[in-house]
Amino acid sequence: MQQEAAVPPGTKGGWAAARSQAPSAGPGTERPAATESVLDVGNMNDWQRKSPVDWETYVNKMVKVAAIEKHEYEGWVLTVDPVSASIVLATFLENEKVSISVVLGHAVQKVEILKEGDDEMKQRLSYIFAPEESKAYSPEELEKRKNNLKTWLETNHIPVTEQGESGRTLCVAGVLTIDPPYGPEECSSSNEIILSRVQDLIQGYLEKQQ
Amino acid sequence: MPVPVGVLRLPRGPEGCSRGFSPTSPRFQALLGGDAVTTTAAAQGARAALRQRYLRGLAAARGRPTRFCLRAGVRVDAVFGAADVDAVAFQVDALQTPLGVQAAALLRCADVLAYSFLLD
Repeated sequence: MQQEAAVPPGTKGGWAAARSQAPSAGPGTERPAATESVLDVGNMNDWQRKSPVDWETYVNKMVKVAAIEKHEYEGWVLTVDPVSASIVLATFLENEKVSISVVLGHAVQKVEILKEGDDEMKQRLSYIFAPEESKAYSPEELEKRKNNLKTWLETNHIPVTEQGESGRTLCVAGVLTIDPPYGPEECSSSNEIILSRVQDLIQGYLEKQQ
Repeated sequence: MPVPVGVLRLPRGPEGCSRGFSPTSPRFQALLGGDAVTTTAAAQGARAALRQRYLRGLAAARGRPTRFCLRAGVRVDAVFGAADVDAVAFQVDALQTPLGVQAAALLRCADVLAYSFLLD
């Protein structure tokens, strides 16, 4: 069994090893679809068939993932992509760096929970992918930013409402949400045109403020 | 428990300002079966939270040297670029192949078993 959760790319031995391990079949080489079709419709594995609620139970836990071709990965589960069922694992290295490994859903054979995460670990994991600026604001500042942005949107005749716990999320026209700290990076919408427009607006608003 | 449908396979929603089925449409209700209205809200919430974190992860991966583990023990190094919405391919830059460095390339997700990168 190979252990390879935390192989940092860019280490000296690593590059050489990668070269020597790569035989003639490079990526892009056409391979006969012997084991799996490109789209796994109809032959999804057990892991891919799970529901988002099942996947969520693995988040913030230390797991060992057994993948096809006898690969094994260990780490803290950050998330599971509900579209591809890929597992995102984090491993903390000694030099305060974090190694992220993503095991694609089609390659997952078995996931075994090794350890539960305590509150400190949950906090640590949630900060890994958090946008930079969201770490620095106090609740009062966030409230102020929210109200300023809401007022500004309203004076520009953009329909905006508050939703979520204690109204901390702003909702624009019912199709776009803005989470704290209310910057362009925190806008979410399934409509990319509205998303891009509102992000530009907020970017402009923030630049004008400074 | 009904299996959620992949993002791209959903037709455009009827109201023209979003993608996917409107949760109130008869078609979506039929897809879920009768009982599922309350369980769906929980499942949808979980799905959204998981997906958002995954997308933030992709954003964090952008521009970082990444090692891809492909089938048959092949390892390649590249700079992570992007992934498409329904996980068919990854776009990478500076892909180091045995034949030389490719400035830009697509890796099929079905060929990739795993990839890893470092965050500082």
